[in-house]
Parts: sequence; C-alpha cells; structure tokens
Amino acid sequence: MIHFVRDNMAPLMFAGLVVFMLIGYPAAFSLAAVGLFFAFFGIQYGLIGSDFLGNLTYQLYGIISNDLLLAIPFFTFMGAILERCGLAEDLLDSIGQLFGPVRGGLSYAVIFVGAILGAITGTVAASVIAMGVISVPVMMKYGYSTRHTMGVIAASGTITQLIPPSLVLVVLADQLGRSVGDMYAGAIGPSIIQVALFCAWVAIVSVVWPKDVPALPLEARTLSGWPLLRKSMRGIIPSLGLIFLVLGTIFLGLATPTEAGAMGAVGSLALAAFNRTLTRPLVYQGMATTMRITAMVVYILIGARTFSLVFQGVGGKVWIETMLTSLPGGTVGFLVFVNIFVFVIAFFLDFFEIAFIIIPLLAPAADKLGIDLIWFGVLICANIQTSFMHPPFGFALFYLRSIAPPSVKTSDIYWGAIPWVFLQVILVVILIFWPQSVTYWIDHTKSVNPDLKIDIPQLDSPLPPLDFSDPPARK
Amino acid sequence: MDALLRFTRAIDSMNERFGVIATWLVLLACLLSAGNAAVRYGINEFLVLGQDFAFLHALTTGIGWYGNHANAFLEAQWYMFTGMVLLGGPYTLKVNEHVRVDLFYGMVSERTRTWIDLIGTILFLLPICVILIYFTWPWFLESWRIGEQSSNAGGLTRWPVKLLLPVGFALMALQGVSELIKRCAALTGRYRLEYAYEKPLQ
Repeated sequence: MIHFVRDNMAPLMFAGLVVFMLIGYPAAFSLAAVGLFFAFFGIQYGLIGSDFLGNLTYQLYGIISNDLLLAIPFFTFMGAILERCGLAEDLLDSIGQLFGPVRGGLSYAVIFVGAILGAITGTVAASVIAMGVISVPVMMKYGYSTRHTMGVIAASGTITQLIPPSLVLVVLADQLGRSVGDMYAGAIGPSIIQVALFCAWVAIVSVVWPKDVPALPLEARTLSGWPLLRKSMRGIIPSLGLIFLVLGTIFLGLATPTEAGAMGAVGSLALAAFNRTLTRPLVYQGMATTMRITAMVVYILIGARTFSLVFQGVGGKVWIETMLTSLPGGTVGFLVFVNIFVFVIAFFLDFFEIAFIIIPLLAPAADKLGIDLIWFGVLICANIQTSFMHPPFGFALFYLRSIAPPSVKTSDIYWGAIPWVFLQVILVVILIFWPQSVTYWIDHTKSVNPDLKIDIPQLDSPLPPLDFSDPPARK
Repeated sequence: MDALLRFTRAIDSMNERFGVIATWLVLLACLLSAGNAAVRYGINEFLVLGQDFAFLHALTTGIGWYGNHANAFLEAQWYMFTGMVLLGGPYTLKVNEHVRVDLFYGMVSERTRTWIDLIGTILFLLPICVILIYFTWPWFLESWRIGEQSSNAGGLTRWPVKLLLPVGFALMALQGVSELIKRCAALTGRYRLEYAYEKPLQ
C-alpha cells in the first residue's frame, strides 16, 4: 500500500485535485489544500525534503512582483468603465444604421462592434453586457429571431478574448513564458478568420433562413448622408483613439502591455467624461469590481502555485510529460488531444483556473514536441473562448441572461449559442492544420524572448538561490 | 454566541476598511502606471525644450528628479498591486466572490453549502493561511533586520511589501474565522447569511 502510494504520488495527487475542487469550496483554497495535503505525504515518504514548502515564499514573491499580472486590474478596470460609458451605444446605433438596409445588417453591426470593442478592451463582460443591453431590444423589434439574436451577441462579445489586447493572451503569455507582443501579433490572423467566419455564417443564415434576419424597414432608417456619417464618426474616432492608445503603443514598443492597459483605463475615463457619463459612483463601482476580481484571480494563482510546486516535487511534471509525449499521432495527435481536453475541462473550470492549473502542465510537453508556444497559446485561447459560450455554464450566456428581457427563454439563449460554438470549433481546427495563420504576423527578425517562465524552481537540487530581484524587461 | 457574533462584526468592518483601501489602490496604480509610461515617453522632448526656454526650468528640474526616482515609481506599481490583492482578498471572501467549481455546490441545498463552507474553512483555508504566515513572517523579519533595499537604483525599501504578505494572510485567516462563526450561527438558526453564492462576473 505504502509502495503503491509512494510510486503513484503524482497520479494520486491529480485525482486529489479533481476531488478537492469538486467539493465546491473556493478554488484558490482547495488548490492550496491539495498541495499541502500531498506535501505532507511527500515529506513522510521522503519524496521531498521537509523544508520544501519554503519555496513558497519565492513563488509568492514572484507573483506579487510580476509586472504582467498588473495588467489584470488595469484591463478589468477599463472594461468596467467602458461597459457603462456609452461608447458601445454610439457605435451600435451608427453602424447598425449603416448596415441596416442589408439583410442581416444588424448582425453584421454587432459582429463589427464586438471586434472594435475587442480591440479596445480585454474583458468579455464589458462587450456582452454593453451590446446586449442595446441590441437585443432593437433586433427583436425589427423581427430578428430570438435565437439568432442571442447567439450573435454572445459570440461577438467573446471575440474580445482573442483580439488583442486580450487579457487572456496576457495571462497565457505569462504562463507560457513568451512575450505578450508576439502573442498579440500571433492572434491577429485568427481574429480576422474568426470575424470572417461569423460574417459568413450570417450571410448563410440570410440566404437559408431570410425570415430570421430581415433588413431594417425604411422607417427605421432615421439617419442618412451627413448626419449618419457624423454620428458614425462620433463612435468610431474615440474608438480608434483608444485602440491606438492601447494596441498602438504596445506594437510600437512605447509601452509595456501593463502600461498600455493603464493608459487605456485612463483613456476610457476621459471618454466617459467626454460623454458626460463619468460619475463618482460609476468610477467607484468599477474600482470595487476590479479589486474583487483581481484579488480573486491572484488568490487562485497563489493556490495554483502551491499545488504545482508540490506536484512537480512529487514527480508530476515527468508523469504528465511522458503521458502526453507518448500519445499516438505525434504533434497533431497531441494537439487534438489537448484541445479536446481543454474544451471539455472548460465546462467546469473558468479561464483563469485553466490558465493557472492546466497550462503549466501542458506547456513543457508542447515545448518538448517542438511546438511553437505562441501558436500553442493562441490555439488554446481560441479554444477557451468556447468555454464562454457553451451551455449551460458559459459566462457570456449568464451575462446575456441577466440583461435579456424576461420574454426570452433561457433555452433560446442556449440553442442560439450552439451554431456559434461550432464556428469557434472550426476556427480551432483551422488553426491546428494551418499554423501559418498564427505565425505569419509574428516578426521573426526579433530574437526570441529568452526569459522562459521565470518562476519554475529547480526542484532537482535543494532550495536554489533564486534571484527574484527584478524580472528581466519584457516587451 | 452573541459575543462571538460581535467579534465577527468587528473583523468584518475591519476588513471592509482594508477593502476600501484596496479599492482606491486600483485607481492609484492605474494613474501611476499611465503616468510612468507617458512621462518616460515624453521625457526627452521636454529636456530638449527646457534648454531653450527658461520658464520650463522648473519642469526640467522636476523631470530630472523623477528620472532619479523612476524605479521607485515603477516599483510602487506592484507594491500597490500587492496591496490590492492581499488587503482586498479578505473582503472578497466576506462578500463570497472567490470563484468555485460549482458543479456539485450549485446543486445542493443552502444547508449543505453552509456545511461545505464550514468544513472547507477549517480544513482548507485556515491551514494554508497558517502555513503561509509561518513562511513569510521570518522572511519579512530578515528583510526588516537588514534594511533590505531594492536592487534597482533609487528603488524602494523592500520590507513594507514583504510585511504585506503575512499581514494579508493573517487578515484572510481572521476573515475565515469570522465566516466560520457566521456559518455555525447560521446552522443553529441564529444568523442569516448575508451573501448567498452567485456566479461571479468576470
């Protein structure tokens, strides 16, 4: 029995992770508890030294002094302000009028506005809520089918995940030890493909089920000519300004992603002031939400680090690596397996839990197989995007439920989402078999960022003197 | 039991205050970080201009001073981040917004949930807080004893941020005790839980 436990510590610990998490106590503490529990056995059986947990202090210090993680509060704050500042209203109203005469025009408008909002902010909630509040009543009024309306809004809201400056990509870059700039560059191609896929689907719907997506009737097109153009500009110019402030400064190398997030947040405050929606309660609410989300996410990271420290200590890394690298089918087999795994696990875990727990387990194996980690990260990002959409646990669907009128049935929201989940799966398949769609946009003249994951402790030797003074500068 | 509930109210209001501090740190960190980026980018233009215009002298002096302390400002960003997380974490626990895997939790009755929270606090939250305090406290003491400075020129003193770690976990442990008492009181019908579990926004 003792031999069995000692020899299979890593698999047992993984099983323990599943059991502890399923109990339903906050994930941060469950994760840490799995770590502690198995550290106790590990020390008992001599798998790890008795002072092993002392490594935790370095892990903690690595978390709090990590510049990239600072992007989490900044982008969240920006999203919280944008959600309520009236930018989405302006955009949807004008672009809706612009595309209105076409069949499915409002759907295209939602997709484009989703993409624009996605290029400004990095959080899904902001897009889905802002667009849902405005578009649902309009689309229903002009005879769009409920299911299509729900699907297109939820899906367009989640594009934010993939389009730079996505928060998901920042966190994935950190976990994979790659530069955020490259990660963003890699996501450009897939974002374009995704928008194209969505538009293609709307076009198909408008041919096959024209009644679902009627063109706007003449009396609904209140604006035309100059006034319409002016109104469009009112929405588009500030958006372009914000996009430059955030994305432009990153790509030009003027600011780190973290600073760009901060500038974006300040920019959205300015925009809210310009729109006369900047009030003290709005700002305070935004700050409070941001603080709670940041604390929650970083606590999960603390728990995840405790878990993975011990997991690696008892040989989990080797176990996972041999298991994953010996999958049949080589690289493609690995990718297919990993994507199906992430797709399924995304039903139960939210994005941050996947990024902090699952990704560190997968990344070394991917690296060993010679897979470009940028490509891998973007792929995982596109995949995780579905987790916001799949019924019944997708966050985007929750947001939509919370703002949709009571006449909309929950089952309509679920059924409406399904075609769009398929579109996202198609995107993942395209990315697997056509890696150039990701790598094409990455500037290969730049030297590869040498600072691999800064916080893997060298577990073979006892307590190495890690230098955590300051992480090397990142782009 | 009444004395215990009074005790929880004291803890709750204390952590609420720390939560307010953490909340303001969001805005402060944001402004500081945006300011850092803006100044760093604009710094050379100003210095060149300053040579030609005497009235800009004060400004260039100011920028020179900033330049000497730039690392302090950069480090202040993540000090604030640390504050956000460690001072805000306990408040987040109080309002029940630490995310859960609610596959099972979402299906069971209110009473079972209270039991899960009760046992989870004793077996998961409190031990991990104790362990983390145990490891981080001597670390802070050492930093305090040697007056550890940042390794960057003009950086900040290190002990305050190292102090935040054990303090944050102690506050979390206290909030855990408060939640524990409230759950016990709720099970015996002497207290109504204020924050029912709902899916967090993200």
